[in-house]
Amino acid sequence: MLNRIQAGKKLIANLQQLSSRNVSATMQINEKIMVKAETKNEWNRALSEAEKIVGYQTSFLSLRYLLSDEVTNLALHMRKLVGSTHPLVSTGKSLIYGQNNMQTWGLIVLLVSKMAGHADGILESEQDKSAGVLMSQRTLAEVVEMVRTANMIHSSGVLNLQHLQKSGNDLSFDSDLIFGNKIALLGGDILLGNASTQMAQLKNQEVVELMCTAARDISDSHFIGDRDVQNNPLPWDPVKRAEEIRNTTDIESEVQVDEIDNKQPFNLRLMLGGPESEWTVRHTLANGTLLGKSCQSALMLAKQPVELQRQAYFFGKHLALAWQASMDLEPYKTELPLGHKLSLISAPILYHLQYDASIYDEIKKGMESVDDVNYYKIHKEVSRGPGIERTKELQSKHTLAAMTELYKFPKSDAREALEKIILAMQED
Amino acid sequence: MSVSSSRAASARLVQEKLCNLLFNNQQKCVTVKRNFGSTYLPQTNSFMKIYQGTSKFGSFINGIKQSQASSTSIPQHSRDYSSVHTQQPAGPIREYKIDPYMLLEDELKYIFEDIRQELHQGTNQKELIQIAEYYFDGQGKALRPMVTLLMGKAINYHMYRENNPRTVDAQRKIAMIAEMIHSASLIHDDVIDQSFSRRGKPSVNVLWNHKKVTQAGDYVLAIASIMLSRLKHDEVTLMLSAVLNDLVQGEFMQLGAKETENERFSHYFTKTYRKTASLIANACKGSATIAGADAPIVETAFLYGKNLGLAFQFVDDLLDFVSSSETMGKPAAADLKLGLATAPVLFACEKYPELNPMIMRRFKEPGDVEKAFELVHKSQGLEQTRFLARKHCLEAIKLANKLAESPYQKGLTDIMDLVLNRMK
Repeated sequence: MLNRIQAGKKLIANLQQLSSRNVSATMQINEKIMVKAETKNEWNRALSEAEKIVGYQTSFLSLRYLLSDEVTNLALHMRKLVGSTHPLVSTGKSLIYGQNNMQTWGLIVLLVSKMAGHADGILESEQDKSAGVLMSQRTLAEVVEMVRTANMIHSSGVLNLQHLQKSGNDLSFDSDLIFGNKIALLGGDILLGNASTQMAQLKNQEVVELMCTAARDISDSHFIGDRDVQNNPLPWDPVKRAEEIRNTTDIESEVQVDEIDNKQPFNLRLMLGGPESEWTVRHTLANGTLLGKSCQSALMLAKQPVELQRQAYFFGKHLALAWQASMDLEPYKTELPLGHKLSLISAPILYHLQYDASIYDEIKKGMESVDDVNYYKIHKEVSRGPGIERTKELQSKHTLAAMTELYKFPKSDAREALEKIILAMQED
Repeated sequence: MSVSSSRAASARLVQEKLCNLLFNNQQKCVTVKRNFGSTYLPQTNSFMKIYQGTSKFGSFINGIKQSQASSTSIPQHSRDYSSVHTQQPAGPIREYKIDPYMLLEDELKYIFEDIRQELHQGTNQKELIQIAEYYFDGQGKALRPMVTLLMGKAINYHMYRENNPRTVDAQRKIAMIAEMIHSASLIHDDVIDQSFSRRGKPSVNVLWNHKKVTQAGDYVLAIASIMLSRLKHDEVTLMLSAVLNDLVQGEFMQLGAKETENERFSHYFTKTYRKTASLIANACKGSATIAGADAPIVETAFLYGKNLGLAFQFVDDLLDFVSSSETMGKPAAADLKLGLATAPVLFACEKYPELNPMIMRRFKEPGDVEKAFELVHKSQGLEQTRFLARKHCLEAIKLANKLAESPYQKGLTDIMDLVLNRMK
């Protein structure tokens, strides 16, 4: 046991070393990382209050997990990447030190669990009475974080080396790039494997099925639309969209598939409806289904009726979308700092494209690599247009929808905590 | 096409007769016409060589004839027989070989198609489907599905003397899941190893963006897990979920190298179990469990799969030194180039200690790969590896003999020949 504690301390020291020797000057904003600015005191306060309500913080990045052999192994290998420019280094940093909301999703799931309570017939041994949640729900919260983090590592931490391979370069096997990719892939797979085993231990096949459809949706989201060489997304070309609309007869009858059965894959023709539809489809698949389905699974574990589960799903989905909208608004509060990139599929840009399609000429430059786009110019253009106002409306819409679902649950301290979190997010 | 299908039909008929014979335990012998015409033709596309006219088993039999395998205690007869109706005194029935692919034709014929169907249903995006189904074209050996089903059916006979279609369907699903997990790991491995070709065509990382390939691998895993949950069996889900962890840990073990020889061998053994044997063992175990078998039988199934998997991988490591790239469909001496010290190298180390530093630095220096290759061939490493593989084959046969006699149970013992003597 003592050895493991020493190993854990060494590990944390390694990680600190990793962060202090980072080469890149600014941390790039990645729409999937969702970094929050330091000024959100309201936000932090709401979060820490909420944590107290459900007991100790259940982040899988707790010491228990960090002491496991696999993660120690992983971190030791990551040390070799220190000083390189492989994106895994910055990804790893933001995971552990960044003020990111990865750990918050587990918290949301726990709060929803507590808020909904459980039906009769759950064994005493399953309940964590002090926290007001079931042990299985705690496991579920960990699983959600693991799946999300795994996907983040797979999408941000892996570098596309296809163009290098094609040109016949003999990439020697210990080069940083390949090694970094290896660690990113394996790291993500470890998390997925752990998530898989933990879910299996819940011994509830419906929950497993639902959560796996969420994982499937996330993978699905990485293929939508035009992408650059590093698979960063670009918005739909307005010209091509118009053409597609002309060729399509029946758009209005396309219903959001998850109104009926949220285990089915999304029909991407829904994106034809306009900037809001495109944004909704993209971000529901990327984030919304995971949070929604995990809230639904939490209630499933508590043997709550289907109607309540449905409410939980929509609550989670609208919360994730409201969150995404507030993230999209962040860069427009100030001048764009030097070297910062914008997410090209963020709501302000999509709305602006509808208003003035000429901005696509600038975006088009990102077809090869999104680094080639002049973000300063885009920032200026969008700030002048209706994009920001409409995004604020979008955020309000989803916040309202989330609150509506929330108020269908009985009043409790957990519900209040969720309210505060939502309001803190809305406020700015 | 019609000629080969009629030949295949007669081969099938013959197999059925043989099955009935064995099952009814009759001592009467019938000589059978053996031919190697095939119904098991893979779907073609421009990337693949078209292997026509040889069943998988046929090519294995040819491999047996061609290989310089030293004599084993497993009989290797490939007789030519004359016609169906001639009666001749012949040896014990045990000498007749079962072609498991023929035996399981009904279940295996559409297995890749069904997997592709499942992948199609999970998304509406063409590119994702394209990448995900790239390795499900029917060109693989389909070893895992075949073993899973064979074990499943053998256990059905052992326990109930019949094959309940619902149970077989569930076992077939498990076979599909096993193949999908395997392929998902191949997809990720190709990105990790930066390989150039696999199964005779460009590997998936050459053709597509690596990030998309990663996501496609995750997608295949997600679909496999969804299928697993739909079996609605807690134990089976637990078994097969553990496999992914084993696969990744095995891959991680490959990244490190151990100091002493003893440690190295146990490290290699554990790594081989995790990377290869775990999936087959757990698939067999799942197949047994879903049939309702009791604990000793389930354990037998697990150990059988484990021994088969280990033997399979040892032969694989052996072939890396022996076979050419054309036969294998992937480059030869790949393990050395990746810095991996497999069984032949570890054995050769005993005779040539100069391999030790090479192993520690993972054959990175120029000339290391060639020198190691040469030394392995000069030493007894290859024979020792084959002996090790044979040991596990015999163990597997012993385990299979615990089950009641049936064509499927015989198939379980007969495929050891395939495993041991294959050329690719």
